[in-house]
Amino acid sequence: MTRFFTIFCTSLGNKVLVALTGLVLAGFVVFHMLGNLQVFEGQEALNTYAAFLRELPILLWSARIGLLLTAALHIGLTIQLVIRNRRARPVAYASRVYRQASISSRSMALTGSLVLLFIVFHLLHLTAGVVDPSFVDRLDPRGHRDVYSRMIHTFQIPWFALFYLLAQGVLAVHLSHGVSSSLQTLGLEHPILNRVFRAAGPFVAGTVALGNSAIVLAIALGVLR
Amino acid sequence: MVRLDSKVPSGPLETKWDRHRFTEKLVSPNNKQAIKIIVVGTGLAGASAASTLGQLGYHVDCFCFQDSPRRAHSIAAQGGINAAKNYQDDGDSVARLFYDTIKGGDFRSREANVYRLAQVSTQIIDQCVALGVPFAREYGGQLANRSFGGVQVSRTFYCRGQTGQQLLLGAYSALCWQIERGQVVMHPRTEMLDLIVVDGHARGIVVRDLISGRLGVHVAQAVVLATGGYSNIFYLSTNATGCNVTATYRAWKQGAAFANPCFTQIHPTAIPPSEEHQAKLTLMSESLRNDGRIWVPKRAGDTRQPEQIPEPERDYFLERRYPRFGNLVPRDVASRAVKAVCDEGCGVGPGGHGVYLDFAEVIEREGLGLVRERYGNLFEMYQRITGEDAYKIPMRIYPAPHYTMGGLWVDYNLMSTIPGLFVVGEANFADHGANRLGASSLMQGLADGYFILPYTIGHYLATTKNVPITLDHPDARAAVERVAVRSTKLLQGNGTRTAASFHRALGHIMWNACGMARHRAGLHHALQTIPPLRHDFWRQVAVPGSGDMFNQQLEYAGRVADFLDFAELLCHDALHREESCGVHFREEHQTPDGEPIRNDERFAYVAAWEYQPKGTPILHKEPLTFEFVQPAMRNYQ
Amino acid sequence: MHFTLNVWRQRGLDEAGTFVSYPADDISPAMSFLEMLDVVNQRLILKGEEPIAFESDCREGICGACSLVINGIPHGPDRGVATCQLYMRRFTDETIITIEPWRAKAFPVIRDLIVDRRALDRIMQAGGYISSNTGGAVDGNTFLIGKDRAETAMDAASCIGCGACVAACRNASAMLFVAAKVSHLAHLPQGEPERARRANAMMKAMDREGFGSCGNQYECEAVCPKSISVHFIAAFNREFLRSTIAEPGPLTDAPADPHAEFH
Ligand SMILES: Cc1cc2nc3c(=O)[nH]c(=O)nc-3n(C[C@H](O)[C@H](O)[C@H](O)COP(=O)(O)OP(=O)(O)OC[C@H]3O[C@@H](n4cnc5c(N)ncnc54)[C@H](O)[C@@H]3O)c2cc1C
Ligand code: HEM
Ligand code: HEM
Ligand code: SF4
Ligand code: F3S
Ligand code: FES
Repeated sequence: MTRFFTIFCTSLGNKVLVALTGLVLAGFVVFHMLGNLQVFEGQEALNTYAAFLRELPILLWSARIGLLLTAALHIGLTIQLVIRNRRARPVAYASRVYRQASISSRSMALTGSLVLLFIVFHLLHLTAGVVDPSFVDRLDPRGHRDVYSRMIHTFQIPWFALFYLLAQGVLAVHLSHGVSSSLQTLGLEHPILNRVFRAAGPFVAGTVALGNSAIVLAIALGVLR
Repeated sequence: MVRLDSKVPSGPLETKWDRHRFTEKLVSPNNKQAIKIIVVGTGLAGASAASTLGQLGYHVDCFCFQDSPRRAHSIAAQGGINAAKNYQDDGDSVARLFYDTIKGGDFRSREANVYRLAQVSTQIIDQCVALGVPFAREYGGQLANRSFGGVQVSRTFYCRGQTGQQLLLGAYSALCWQIERGQVVMHPRTEMLDLIVVDGHARGIVVRDLISGRLGVHVAQAVVLATGGYSNIFYLSTNATGCNVTATYRAWKQGAAFANPCFTQIHPTAIPPSEEHQAKLTLMSESLRNDGRIWVPKRAGDTRQPEQIPEPERDYFLERRYPRFGNLVPRDVASRAVKAVCDEGCGVGPGGHGVYLDFAEVIEREGLGLVRERYGNLFEMYQRITGEDAYKIPMRIYPAPHYTMGGLWVDYNLMSTIPGLFVVGEANFADHGANRLGASSLMQGLADGYFILPYTIGHYLATTKNVPITLDHPDARAAVERVAVRSTKLLQGNGTRTAASFHRALGHIMWNACGMARHRAGLHHALQTIPPLRHDFWRQVAVPGSGDMFNQQLEYAGRVADFLDFAELLCHDALHREESCGVHFREEHQTPDGEPIRNDERFAYVAAWEYQPKGTPILHKEPLTFEFVQPAMRNYQ
Repeated sequence: MHFTLNVWRQRGLDEAGTFVSYPADDISPAMSFLEMLDVVNQRLILKGEEPIAFESDCREGICGACSLVINGIPHGPDRGVATCQLYMRRFTDETIITIEPWRAKAFPVIRDLIVDRRALDRIMQAGGYISSNTGGAVDGNTFLIGKDRAETAMDAASCIGCGACVAACRNASAMLFVAAKVSHLAHLPQGEPERARRANAMMKAMDREGFGSCGNQYECEAVCPKSISVHFIAAFNREFLRSTIAEPGPLTDAPADPHAEFH
């Protein structure tokens, strides 16, 4: 067996895969946020964008499947790692003080799982429309699926708005450690750039959370309607 | 009956070792596979020996009492390691290193050994670099050197303040390789408690598994001791708390001669003891003496703060007594001078045990920044331990037991008077004579282990027919019996006094009678007080728990017991040597202004002591003849 | 000073342990933490009780033997020191001090506060060396090693193998130790030939010993007595990737017997 396969059979190798998949997922989240921000451009813009996404079914589905696999790999490996790490300390400390490990770095499993729950809910809700069927296949004047109205409708309901806002918070916590951490895992280390690497996580996390929350708030507070 | 035959090859000094290596018999490769060797100790000497022997194809059983070979006391060495590389082109050479070492040892060591040491010193550096030791480098990428321990040339190689750790990690990694290859079997947390001698030859050891407490026997074709020094006989020393005399002392009782036990080095610059429960003394690097000025108040019992004592009322006694070398006189000289002023009542700090090491002037002259850059970590360490800021008020230092030149007697082949028992590193009586120069012990440990023993042991193995013996050989069983009886005895004390308190008491006796300065009356007094102390020890010592379990107190009590026995031998040696040489300063033998008087007519020999079951040990003398250097008076004034 | 010690007592391997509290009376601030324990032990011994087993040897922060988790922090509250370099003046009088052993699957407790750290040795045996025979080494100056590079190697090499990084890591990962060891040799030309094999073998060994995986939480750096930087972990990750991608093995498998075709 050549050394290459140790990527798959060592904890560090798995970490590298987690990092890569994590970054892909992070990439999607950013991209997705940018897409969603078009809600500020008005109904037409967003719906055309959503429609554009759907014009090429092959692309859409390959993207979806790719995304699904990435998430699956990410989740599968992390669960494996988490189990391994739990086993590595059978007897817990009576008292334990952390001075450098950030809270987000210590709660990755928790935040990750919450993010997972959110995604599931989110898909059932806005994509499949199981949670709230209203508007699901209503068309706008130009015959596009009316994603815009659906968003407006959703976040005008306080409970949904609140839930989404919380989700952004959780995601932010996960990403703020996640992104920087993956850079470290991939061996990025450079006397001059180290600060940038450390800042990358909080920055990405903040952007995503702010961008997404802006949408939710704008609608909830009636700026958009 | 012990016979001392140094086996020094004849002929010119420069070629002795080469010719000797050629005349030595070799063991054929496939025979090596059938030979097992025991190495006790994983310090620089032990680890380098075990790894090299393993690499040569022998099967090695290696032992240490720590949980990992990498923790051997060598790890603590700070300053550096000497080698006659002459990279600085400042006039160094094998001959000069040889001469400095002989002279530093006050002409009480074997010329041939010392010359060989100087010769292989250059290979040591190359070997260590090959193993990945990160020696300090110049900007151009070449190896850096510093001048160390009061010599005029820069021949000391170093790795920041942790030369010992880096050299040991090098030897340890080589050991790891041989363990991985299956050539060496490592037995950590295993203490050697006795030597097994079968018809005159060392054939094995009795060990105690420190976790289970089980006694075990290991047999082999030869036994190598690399068990370090016994400075802890003084209780407080710069040595690791685990350092002990047990292995070498037990070997002595089995018939190996013990050489120059009274040559124990006291290091001038340690942090003074602050309170009675202190467990060890911490060394401050000797390099501090390059810039610090040592002084005490002129008036005895002066209790003013240092900064309140005006210049004229300060006594810079080293600069006063030794204008030429000033604060850089060799260790023994500096230590004695410090003791002298403290005895006059001029000492400072708790109990008057200390003198000032003052950096005010150099800070004045070269600026705080430079001093911080040069000694920052040492000042930090000092502050952590004493809570004082040495940038503001002078450091306090006091001499501390540090190294033991004495050890088991070995011939040119590093073999003791028991055939098959080889001794390397600090454990043998070594090449340092009556005083060791700084940075030369690491050199000797690695020279013995990497380059000398592997050759000489081969000759012994090739020329002796040792019949294979089993683990239950009568002599082995007898040895196990000795050990078992002893540890049960240790557990039977009535528990009114701890082993530590006995150790402290012994240390006190030894420090006063046999420390920096010795005199007849004091030594006699010590010889009278030690036996009763030992008697009380066996009656009163408190060792909780049992022998068949992990029991640190039992280990410790055993070591203290051996120190209690060994102490007498040390005093006998100090008493018989009616001269002052090197670290051994007999107050009866000094000039009016307190300089030592050496007596080459009567004492130019190695004192090798033979154990006697009853009565005092017998003295054997190995005369020291100097064909190539002329014993000169060591004068630093 | 007076303290109440809350100490983990455990008689032996895979036996149940518990916390027992002991008074530590009239302690001087000048004592080191371990000397304080010595004093407490002396008193226990005279009472015929078994003293608290803890490990130490050099008592100056270089051998890596001492290993106590003090009030939830390996090696105690000070940064960049080992347990033996901790002094009582650092603690507030009349407080409770909790003392635990390193806790990790790979470090089974032998007794009380002493754990078995041979796992670290076995990681070293897996590849933490340069396969260079004694004798025949080239002159030390044949390798020219720039000052900065030498200093970096030295930074990594200063690891004292205490295992505090494992004790501190929430995942009980030995990553900082392995990274330090690999980086030390990877930064030196002498280490170059076995670079790939070493990184790979030592990583596998770490997993084999049952340590956790590194989640880049950086707590290890905070407790390391030699303040070894987690940047070495990044460097090691790179080293590992290099070994898997750039140097996955020999380009072609040489025939077992190069002369096979001749007979
Ligand atoms: C603080 C300090 C600083 C020093 N600095 C320098 C320096 O700068 N330069 C220099 O040249 N020298 C220095 N020295 C001296 C030098 O470090 C030692 O003399 C040298 O390391 C001794 O090495 P060794 O291999 O002979 O023994 P050690 O390194 O002491 O090894 C002894 C080994 O024997 C084992 N052992 C002992 N007894 C038993 C037993 N009964 N059963 C089983 N195993 C046993 C131990 O486990 C250990 O592995 C310094 C010493 C000290 C204390
Ligand atoms: C959009 C969704 C997600 C994104 C963007 C994301 C991103 C990341 C990133 C970048 C990392 C860092 C990898 C590293 O440290 O090298 C990471 C780690 C992790 N993720 Fe996610 N993740 C997502 C979803 C999830 C989900 C659904 C789970 C869980 C069930 C999860 C669990 C984890 C865990 C446990 C880690 C830590 C692994 C470790 O440090 O050992 N993540 N994630
Ligand atoms: C306020 C924040 C968010 C809004 C308003 C939002 C809105 C939407 C909408 C409207 C869709 C359906 C698009 C369509 O059907 O054409 C969608 C799909 C999706 N969203 Fe979000 N989203 C948000 C946050 C997130 C987050 C944080 C994640 C991931 C962690 C996420 C993951 C997804 C996924 C995976 C899909 C399915 C994409 C597809 O259909 O292929 N969303 N989102
Ligand atoms: S990396 Fe630091 S904490 Fe870990 S073993 Fe080495 S010295 Fe100890
Ligand atoms: S704390 Fe643990 S998670 Fe990694 S960075 Fe240090 S090993
Ligand atoms: S006892 Fe050696 S490091 Fe603490």
